[in-house]
Amino acid sequence: MSHLHLSFYSAFILSSLGLAFHRTHLISALLCLESMMLSMYVALAMWPIQMQSPSSTIIPIIMLTFSACEAGTGLALLVASTRTHGSDYLHNFNLLRC
Amino acid sequence: MMEFVLFLGLFFALGGLAVASNPSPYYGVVGLVVAAIAGGGWLVSLGVSFVSLMLVMVYLGGMLVVFVYSVSLAADPYPETWTDWGVVGYGFGMGLVVMVGLVVSGVFGLLTDVGTVNGAGLLSVRVDFSGAAVLYSEGAGFLLIGGWGLLLTLFVVLE
Repeated sequence: MSHLHLSFYSAFILSSLGLAFHRTHLISALLCLESMMLSMYVALAMWPIQMQSPSSTIIPIIMLTFSACEAGTGLALLVASTRTHGSDYLHNFNLLRC
Repeated sequence: MMEFVLFLGLFFALGGLAVASNPSPYYGVVGLVVAAIAGGGWLVSLGVSFVSLMLVMVYLGGMLVVFVYSVSLAADPYPETWTDWGVVGYGFGMGLVVMVGLVVSGVFGLLTDVGTVNGAGLLSVRVDFSGAAVLYSEGAGFLLIGGWGLLLTLFVVLE
């Protein structure tokens, strides 16, 4: 494994841990999700470099497109939460609690 | 020069740690900006400058700007920085878990080097520029599906 692989691998693991152990705000969980998407983008961009296949360059571009879609959807959920509850605290999402 | 690339890789992982320790969102965005700039510089050092430019313009200049002004919806009266004990505990714990995992799995004895790509000869073609051009010629289906997905997302967000 090269040190590049090590770097984005550990960034992905850290961001997924941050998503799992979220604390108070919904938007900090969304930021961890964005950080996961960033490390996946850099990982996919290594593919045309190491395999010397130019056609694989479109894969990180398409992934960035759909990651932008997902970020927009997450922010729409954030705005909806702020409209109903007044804040984006995660303990407001308690309708499904038993 | 080699040390600079290693520092970029380190800042990428540290930016991820800064976001993962879940401070107040104002400071989480700073970590994400550091990670995006380090990742972009890193891709330039490997030779693929088109992909790096896309990262900076679309991710940093588009998505993160939208995140930054949405953070204003999540205002704390007393924002937690990285020097508050809750955040330090989370950051230290996560960093420790990842480092222990890396050491135990023996990864640090297996590190190798990675090459770059620039093309060779007089009629050289860059890998990433020609790859992105594929998106508009043979990969037109990807373009149409991506555009359709973006249109649907627009309706989702407006609803």
